[in-house]
This record gives sequence, structure tokens and C-alpha cells, in this order.
Amino acid sequence: MTISTPAPNPARFIRADGPDKVTGSGRYTADLTLTGMLAAKFKYAGIAHGRITRLDTTAAKAIPGVFAVLTQADVPNVRFGGFVQDRTLFADGVVRFEAEIVAAVAAVDAATAQRAVDAIVVEYEPLPVVNDPEAALTADAPLVHTDWASYGASGALVRERNDASFSSIAKGDVDRGMAEAAVVVRSRYDADGCHAAPIEPRAIVAQWEGDKVTIWTTTQVPYDARAGVCETLELPANRVRIIVPHLGGGFGGKCGFHFEAHIAALAKAARRPVRLLFSRREEFLAPDKRRESICYDFETGVSSDGRIVARRVTMVLDNGAYTADAGFFSQLGAMHALGPYRIPNLLAEAHLAYTNHQPSGSVRAPTAPQTCWALESHTDEVARAIGMDPVAFRQLNAVDTGAEGPSGQTYGEIGVQECIERAARMAGYGQQLPGDEAIGVAIGWWPSFAVPSGAYVKIDGDGSAQIITGAQECGTGSVMTLPQLAADELGMSAADFQLVYQDTSVAPYDMGATGSQTLFNNGRAVIAAAAQIAEQLRALAADHLEADPADIVLANGQAFVAGTPDRAVPIATLAGIAAGGELLIGHGSGMPPGPPPISGSTCVGDAGVAAWVAPQFSCHAVRVKLDRDTGVARIMHVAAAHDSGTIINPLGAEGQVQGGVLMGIGQALTEGTSYDNEAHQRNAGLLDYKLQTCADAPPMDIHFVQINTPNAGPHGAKGLAEAPNVATAAAIANAIAQLVGAPVRQLPMTAERVWDALQEVAQNTIGGAA
Amino acid sequence: MSESIILSVNGMQYPVTIDQGRNLLSVIRGEVGLTGTKEGCDDCECGACMVLLDGQPVNSCSYLAMQAQGREITTVEGVLIGDAMHPLQRNLLAAGGVQCGFCTPGMIMSATALLQRTPAPTEEEVRVGLSGNLCRCTGYTKIVEAVQRTAAELQGS
Repeated sequence: MTISTPAPNPARFIRADGPDKVTGSGRYTADLTLTGMLAAKFKYAGIAHGRITRLDTTAAKAIPGVFAVLTQADVPNVRFGGFVQDRTLFADGVVRFEAEIVAAVAAVDAATAQRAVDAIVVEYEPLPVVNDPEAALTADAPLVHTDWASYGASGALVRERNDASFSSIAKGDVDRGMAEAAVVVRSRYDADGCHAAPIEPRAIVAQWEGDKVTIWTTTQVPYDARAGVCETLELPANRVRIIVPHLGGGFGGKCGFHFEAHIAALAKAARRPVRLLFSRREEFLAPDKRRESICYDFETGVSSDGRIVARRVTMVLDNGAYTADAGFFSQLGAMHALGPYRIPNLLAEAHLAYTNHQPSGSVRAPTAPQTCWALESHTDEVARAIGMDPVAFRQLNAVDTGAEGPSGQTYGEIGVQECIERAARMAGYGQQLPGDEAIGVAIGWWPSFAVPSGAYVKIDGDGSAQIITGAQECGTGSVMTLPQLAADELGMSAADFQLVYQDTSVAPYDMGATGSQTLFNNGRAVIAAAAQIAEQLRALAADHLEADPADIVLANGQAFVAGTPDRAVPIATLAGIAAGGELLIGHGSGMPPGPPPISGSTCVGDAGVAAWVAPQFSCHAVRVKLDRDTGVARIMHVAAAHDSGTIINPLGAEGQVQGGVLMGIGQALTEGTSYDNEAHQRNAGLLDYKLQTCADAPPMDIHFVQINTPNAGPHGAKGLAEAPNVATAAAIANAIAQLVGAPVRQLPMTAERVWDALQEVAQNTIGGAA
Repeated sequence: MSESIILSVNGMQYPVTIDQGRNLLSVIRGEVGLTGTKEGCDDCECGACMVLLDGQPVNSCSYLAMQAQGREITTVEGVLIGDAMHPLQRNLLAAGGVQCGFCTPGMIMSATALLQRTPAPTEEEVRVGLSGNLCRCTGYTKIVEAVQRTAAELQGS
């Protein structure tokens, strides 16, 4: 069943952490100070690839006010990594990217710590710099990890030399499909890497008491951070407590395990609390989370009636120097390169190439926006080649309810076709436009991630309630939505609930603010926990009202007998009764829905992301105005239609789409990391890496195609935080291509690149005329 | 070299002894002890550290604390009206203009200065007025709405 977006509710949801945030009273990690706290600084490699021939910390340690200087020799000899154990806390004899940490200092203040960092002597034997992911895969390329074969790794990965993860998806007979196609179109696209760039730079505070350490940190994934500390410092989980104060945005950049163990080790050695505050430059260079650059070679064959009959795509992703959480990106990227289309014959091959760049990792919908940009640009080329309207081409070829996707998954009820229709209509697709304006259209998709998650709910004797959850709030409001779910289950008001969250020693496990999974999975956990209390309340009320528990209804803060609302007792009264007997405490987790079946495809290097639980779909249609003299593109209007299942918090959902679209505009036009010949980032600052401002942001129209999806999250909800970031850059590209007369084959499509494409078209035109 | 000065922040006088080279942001967060003002880049690019100096918005990361002597400094903590939220704070929440909240204090100071200068701004004036404050979460739409709602409310009162 499809229902249209409900009219805006005047009593729309106001987030519980809001007052902290607008008054300045909310504490973020950098706002914390502890008595005796020291400042931490890192010594970075400064070169992209080299063997350490001398490392001397003597002079640094001698500086008054320096409490600890640590190198790899001072911590357990542990090689870690979720997919490939290719990394150590500090450089282990070789540095492999410019911001690899060689040593760490704790000193009485930041200036003293910096002096100590400068006094550390490191000498290197330079090693050849691997600066190009495609070149890294050639037979004679220097190895980034000479010991790659001996590293521990996930059994699902297919690895060979600089290829850290090869993945392929095959179906049908791609050669025969191409041979039978009426038209075959080939395209090359190159997307630069880019950054999450949350406005809050990373901060970490660590303090030991006896053999236990508490770490306050800016992580999106507290349990993952804890696991990293436990693994690298060889500690049991119950002696490491991760607390996240308010988190100032993440966008994936604060996923994974970062510097918590370094700061904990410093605090232990210094016998003092230690705080790390990142500068904006460090924020750009050091984390192992940067959106991967990818290059693509596409080949698509279509029949004379416009149906896709075959697709072949080869892609090379930049892994950077260490694999971090990018191990599954090759398969995920392959899925995005094939796209939400019906394709009988296909072969996608993706390689994750080690280079001497900053490591890649989850940034909002990893692999998706850049791959959607490349695929959907290619799709417009295909449509044009057979003389079809790009929207009609997508309507003909996109998957639909009951259709089979590229990996052989058959979808239940999905809203992709309605997204296309809605976005085109909201954008006024087909209208007469001035000569310097065009509307581009693109479709995108993204999985929901079904994973374990836990929560407690309790109601105290006065009738006030708490949700104690392992879930992490990074700004999206998904944790803030949990009280609504518990309130619905218990017939109470969301305002009756206070949240205790993002503390690993207090609440059960949750995967964190990653994979758009919080509401999907922790929502299930909170409902399950609340359901336990609901059962207790019904038993208490039945006793109190002399009725059958099965007849008790919980609503409006009361328990009453069905059909006779005057036989009622306030829930607060029942809570008072429970306080003298069996307490009202619920715990919940619930089984996550299992992966859907796939058939007919062959997946090599199967990281488990070819079968998508509750897939989300979107279509964006963007009107762009182009100044042909300068190559400057201005976004005039964005229409975004999304199938993310049932929308539980419309205000928050709109905010996710608006923010995701604007990030997509940045990725389309300005956000790209540039490397020099020695693999140093050229634009590691907000002046040269330009985010979109308020004055740049266009008007947007948003529509949610709401389908109550089975085997999804609470009330049929899917994820939402990442999906809005997928299709925007692609839609912009398709508008720009119309205005230029050819696609711009590099992302971001900066004014310079657009201008170059305009000149090339002009030259070809003149050449053709001559 | 250290010097003892008095800073007036949100109507309170704070005697502080500081190195002459210290920026205003670090003194507000450290010595004065008000952490609502945030550091996002230390380079005048993000606007998270914005405060008002005699009503004018300033990136406190790039302003010497010494220069703020004798001037009235307003931070996000000084926006409350008694214990009640300023309409701008209320409207930011009602419109959904707050997500992670890290840019919010600077955004509030920018918008406050804008509304003092231009009590009935057009949407374009709001967008230009807030263009020195980067937000990565919201896409700005709901922040602009909140500022416009506030302007209408203040004009109506």
C-alpha cells in the first residue's frame, strides 16, 4: 500500500537535545576539562612513503612539561583492521601516507607538546610513492604492503598484491548480450576523493582510574571504538568505557576506531588525563575516513526498443594506505555501478587498490554518490545514443515491484517508479527553459542494514520513564525519535521519556550512527523493551481494575478496560504500585530481519552486500543554470523523491534530505581532494576545499513515497540518512551535460573542468565544420 | 607576555590574566569558562566561533582577546531572556534547524546581528547574512525558515 506524505503536523517533533544545543549549555568532547589534564599532539610522517631509519625521542622527552612520548615500541605489538589486519597504532618501521602517526606526546599544554613533537628526530629512506590507484594494480607497481600476503584478513576478501579487495558480480552472458545489442555505449568517468568534513573536529579525553579507562570521544560508533581500544591495548571490554558527549556531526567520517587508543596509552604512561584536539588541517589529513576516489569504464548494450540487454563495468577504488572499513566497498561499489536496473547480462568488476594516500572509509553512503554520478551520466549517454528521453529510458529500465535487480534479488513492493514520476513532476521536467538552464534527472538506491541492537526501558515510581540505549546520536535525530516509539507502545507521551545514550558501560550494544541503521535496528530494540513493560502494566492494571489483562488498553497515559474507558487507572499510579513490588524494567533487542534470497548471479569477493534488506530508492531532478563564459554552474532548484518506507519523524526526515542534497551539490561542484606528485593533499583546509554555504543552497521540494515495508524497521521504516546523498551529483551532471553538449567526465565538476569541456565541444564543432 | 585585563561577557565582568597573543575564542572557552562558542577551523572559515562585539559579529578565533577590552562581548549563553529561550532559539528547534548543533551557537550570533541590522530581512538577505556560518547537517533550509519566523514574530510584537 502506498500512502502520500501526510500534511505537515503543526505539533511537529522537537528534539530532546535541542535546548542544550541552542543555549550553548550542551557539552561536546572538546568542552571537557579534567583536573591535571595534559594536551596531546601527534608526530606525523610528513612524507607519503618511506622506511624509518632513525627515530629518536630523547630530546623531546627532556623538555620540561613533557610527561610522555610514545612510539610503536611502547604499545602492544598488535596489527589491527576489521577487514585486513594491515595497520598498527604507530608506524611500524614504514610510513605509508603523509599523516601516518610516528609518535605521540602528552605535555602540560599544547604549545609544549608541539615543541616536543618538533624535537622528535625521524629520518627516512624514501620509498617509491604509489599515487595512482590504476597504476597500483599493474604487475610492476611497487607494493604498498610488502607483507600483504601474511596479514590476517576476512575470509570473504579476494586479495592480490596492491588489490586489497577484488569483487565481481556476474549474471547471464555479458559477451552475448553485447553482441546482440543494437547499440553499445562506452564511457570513462573519474571521481576524486572527498571528505566528510563535519564542523566539529575530532576530540578525545582519556582518564585512567586503577586498571580501568574512561574515554570521552567524538565517535559515531562507540562500541567499535571500544573494540579497537581493547584489541590494540589488549584490554577486556569491561575495563574500557567509551562515552560520547554531544557529537558535532559525523557523516561517516567519525565511524571506525581512530585515535582513542593513542590517547588512552598516553594517559596511562603520563598517569594523567590527556586530551587531544584536532585542528582543521589534521581533520582533513589524518583520519582513515575519506570518500574513495574511483575510476570507471562502462559499457552498456541496449536493444532497438531501448531495453538494457548487457552491462560491463570495471572500476578501481582508491583504498589509500590501509584498508580500514573499506573492505566491502568493492562489492558495494559494483552494486551501485550496475544500478537499480533490470539487466539480463552483466559483469561488474571492482578493485580496491592500495596507494600512499589517506585511507578511505565510510563517508555518507560510501561508493554511492560518485558511482551514481558515473552510472547515471553514462545512462544519459545511452539514452541519447538511441534517441530516447532520459526519464522515459529510466522508467522503462529501472527495477520495480516484483522485478529482479542486478544481483538476482527480486524486490517486494518498492517505490522507485513513483519516485521518478514525482521528482520529474516537482521539477517541472519537460517545461520550456531559458537557453542557459536545464533539468537533469538521476535515480539512486541504498540498502538498509539489519544488525543486532539493544536497549532498556524503565519507568520509575513517579511514572517518569527512561530509555537507556547503546544507540549513538550524531545529529540526525534518530535517537531523538526513539521516545516516540516507546511512547506509542506504552500509551504515554514522548515527553515522558528521558534518554540515556552513547555510553558503552551503561547500555547494551548498538552498531552506532552508521549505515542509516539507528531507527531501523534500535527502534526495534526500544519497541521490544517497551513491550515487556507494557505486559507488566497490563497485568498490574488487570489486577487493579479486576479485568482480564488481554482486555487492558494503554493510551493517553492510562490503562483502561477495552470498551469501558471509565474503568481506568493512570500509568503513573501503576508505576507507584510497581515501585513497591516487581519493578518496571524492560530490555529489548529483537531479531534483525535476515537477508533476502538472491539467485542467478555469481558474486566473487562476496562481502554480503549484494542482497539488500529493505532497499531504499530515490530520484532527484535538478535545474541548473550554467554561465558558459566561466563554467560556473548554479543550482536553481532540487526536486527529491524518496522511498525510505514509512516516515516516522517527518521534520527529521526532511532535514536529512535537505542536508544530504546540499552535501551532494558540494560533491558535484566543489568538493574534491587534490594530490600533488608526492601524494600530499593540496587542499586540506576549508578555504581550498569549499563547502556549500547558505547563500549557495537552492530551494528544494521533497516528497516521500511511503510504503509500509515488510521485514524492515519499526512500522515499515527503512533507513534514510545516507540515501539523500546518492543521486544529487548525478542529476546535476546530467543537467550540465545538456548545457555543455557533452558530459564532464571528472568529479567534482568544477568551473574549470566544465569550462574545459565547453572548449572541447567548441573545438570539435569548429573542427567538424572545417 | 601576560597581562591582566577585564572582559565584559554577557554583562558580567571577568578579570583574566592572559598572554597578549591569545585569541578571544580560547579565552572565552578557557578563562571565562563559557564553552557554547565552538572552534571549528581556527581560520575564519566556518563561523562556529562567532560572537558579538558591541553587537557586531566577529570570528573570535581570529580576534585578539586584548582588543576586546572595553567592549561588550555577547556569546550564545547571553542570548537567553532571563531563563526563557529567545524566539530565535525556540524557532530553530520548532523549524528543525538544529541537528548536530555544533554550528548552532555561531549561527545564532550571526542571525541575531542580522535581525538587529535588518529587522525584516528578505530570504536572500537571510541567506547572505548567514553565509559566513557553515552547517554540514541541515542544508540551511530550516535555519533560514527559523530566522524568517523570528523576524515575523519580533516585528509583530
